[in-house]
Amino acid sequence: MSQLLDFKQNSHLDPALTDPATRTLNADKLVGRWVNTNPDTKGVAEITIKQERDQFSVNVKGAGPDGLISWPTVQAKVLANLEEEAGQRAVAFAATFAFGFMTAETYLRVNKGVLVIVLFNTFHDDSGRSSYVTREFFYRP
Amino acid sequence: MQFAQICDQVDTAATRKIDHAGLIGTWVNSNPDTTGIARMVVEELEGKLTLRTLAIGPEGLIDWGTSELSVYGSSPSSDVAAGFACQYDFGFAETLLQGMLLKGLMVLAQIHSFKDQSDRVPFFVREYFALDHGRF
Repeated sequence: MSQLLDFKQNSHLDPALTDPATRTLNADKLVGRWVNTNPDTKGVAEITIKQERDQFSVNVKGAGPDGLISWPTVQAKVLANLEEEAGQRAVAFAATFAFGFMTAETYLRVNKGVLVIVLFNTFHDDSGRSSYVTREFFYRP
Repeated sequence: MQFAQICDQVDTAATRKIDHAGLIGTWVNSNPDTTGIARMVVEELEGKLTLRTLAIGPEGLIDWGTSELSVYGSSPSSDVAAGFACQYDFGFAETLLQGMLLKGLMVLAQIHSFKDQSDRVPFFVREYFALDHGRF
């Protein structure tokens, strides 16, 4: 079958990519409420991931000067995660938050019970701020 | 100034230009058995920062060609590169590459999304790359 498929690297031909079980594999490892391991974070304070059938939503609360700032809830793109050993595999998510003045693109994955997010933030206003990238860690309270 | 988190609030005098010198060079995958990207070449061409990607194929390296990079600092007030992002459109698939520098290591997240009728699920891979510095 693989000879019929277009590819740009060998992993494009990984049989797991056409396995229906891959689509939501161990998604329960990500679903729920997560709190930043750093209580003094100036970035994302907490994340809630919800599942409805095979759809997932992500709600983020940023740390604000006067309390938490609720970001718009977005649908996550579900990604098969091929990097972990087979027994550790769980889906990963990609999510994009559009604020108008800024776009925050993130991917979320679980590693040994810790939710890891990497945020690529791009400003669209004329504030002169640099685009920037951050990584933060979350635990289940 | 609008913000979504405290760290978005910084004093800015003028539009910042991020120094991307630390990204330039050849980045080699730490895993010799990778089934993904073998190495990446970052260079400045005609004033634009570009990435050339070479991936592992069944009969040798596959040259993805070049893609223009977006450069990221480590904070909104940063003027030194801490990461990059770019996208490849292969027709049958799109690949988003997002790299983040950690202690000299480039941690590269790859998000592959298929656009053909193959029913392959989108997938995520993270790999590590070292800058081929030639000093040792």
